[in-house]
Amino acid sequence: MRKHRTSHRSIGGKNFVILPIIFCVLIIGISTAIVYPSTSSFISMAKLFFSDGEKDFSTRYNNIFVPVEEDEDEGKEQTTEERKVIPMSTMKFPSYGDQFGELIIEDCQIEARLFFNDGANELNNGVGMYTGSSIPGYGKTILVAGHNNTFFNGLKYAKKGQKVKIRTSYGNYVYEINDIQIRDENDESACNLKADYENLVMYTCYPFDELGLTPQRCFVYAKFISGPALDKKN
Amino acid sequence: MSDSGKKFNIKSLIYGFLSFMLGFVLFLLSICLVLRLTFFSQDFMLDSMANTGYYEMVKDELCDKLKNLGHASGLPDEFFDDFVDDIDIVEVERNYVSAFYTDVSTLVDTDTFKQELMDAINVYIDEKNIDKEKAKEENLGYFIDEASSIYVKSVTVSFFSILANYINKLDSPLRMTEIGLGAAALIIAAIIFFTNRYVHRRYRYLTYGLGGGFLSVIVIPIVVFASGIIPKVNLTTRSLYNLFVGYFNSMFMYFWIFSAILLFLAVLCFFVYRTKYLKAIGD
Repeated sequence: MRKHRTSHRSIGGKNFVILPIIFCVLIIGISTAIVYPSTSSFISMAKLFFSDGEKDFSTRYNNIFVPVEEDEDEGKEQTTEERKVIPMSTMKFPSYGDQFGELIIEDCQIEARLFFNDGANELNNGVGMYTGSSIPGYGKTILVAGHNNTFFNGLKYAKKGQKVKIRTSYGNYVYEINDIQIRDENDESACNLKADYENLVMYTCYPFDELGLTPQRCFVYAKFISGPALDKKN
Repeated sequence: MSDSGKKFNIKSLIYGFLSFMLGFVLFLLSICLVLRLTFFSQDFMLDSMANTGYYEMVKDELCDKLKNLGHASGLPDEFFDDFVDDIDIVEVERNYVSAFYTDVSTLVDTDTFKQELMDAINVYIDEKNIDKEKAKEENLGYFIDEASSIYVKSVTVSFFSILANYINKLDSPLRMTEIGLGAAALIIAAIIFFTNRYVHRRYRYLTYGLGGGFLSVIVIPIVVFASGIIPKVNLTTRSLYNLFVGYFNSMFMYFWIFSAILLFLAVLCFFVYRTKYLKAIGD
């Protein structure tokens, strides 16, 4: 019995677990201490390539557009004082890629979803607002792009005096086309994003219905007619 | 403590240290072998591409991007469905990947792509009887250049050109390191084996070293999978994302395999030790 107890204890069962664990801790510790100083900058840089969650590659878009009823005086030219004011805190500001409204030019047979961003996915599904410009009601320039063979093909029928409607969840806006210009694609003066008055600029590739990529752009300018103003302070 | 007791403790410490060194060397050797079988292997890259459906996804993405370009260029979606179908993406990708591992130019050949696209457009113009005025040469040239640029971006793998530099420069040093570590592991194991008078002790110290190596190797995939970092990588396309996730999952599979090998050897040594030890005390 004594012999059996002794032999069982000295087989060293615990050592076969404890020693490998100690070795593992030492190996990982030493390796980290050796490798980390020379790779810490690389590790910090690598962290930039990872986000908090898994990336969503779906091409579906979020639609936050809920039409609101038309005002009685919609389309009647309004001065700044006559405009209804909406606190910005009461509206839902769109995120990148959201459909937040629709753009309609009845005379040009254009009726397109309006997106917040003008990337490939947005322009496949409608027309897109350049996010460096402003949303309707903000009192600045709204720059909207569309493909000339799809949603903005109708801009070839654009004429001065035609009405452009933009419907959003927080109000309906009307603009009137007051100029059409053909500009070079690199002409930065074609659109004044710093304007301190509300105006709409729509553009697409030009000439229309041509095969291939064209270096010119058709810019359609429209002045503000009616629609609520956004109160930036509230 | 008696002299024999002190001697026994010093001997235990020395053999304990040798076991630790064996574990460390096996850990480093496992990492080197995993790198050899994955990061430094052209076949592993090509297998990852095939297993993650990379070729099909690249083809779909290229088609979608060209269709987007077509929306601004007057070409219908069907035109690109037919055109992209004829491109041998597998061949293009294989040549591209091979170039990295053989240290030749990794530039993607766009001449064939441009010529085939031009031919397809000419056929389309003839079929649709499109007026020459509506298909100006400069506009088509601009379109083909843009399409070619999209093609190059679609078939190239981001950051691969940077990694290729390391693959080519580190190949020989890695081989030397593998040989060195392999030799070191054998020497340490031989010292443990041939300098111990008792057979069971030989296997005991080998078990410690193999056990330590096993735990150290298995910690790597456990930490990576537990952190869930791999699926959170921020890559621009689904094809690259799937390739990255598939590539690293397969890479960490090799860590599991090497740890399983070390565990098997450790368990084997333990049972040999136990048998020899019980036999020794029985005698």
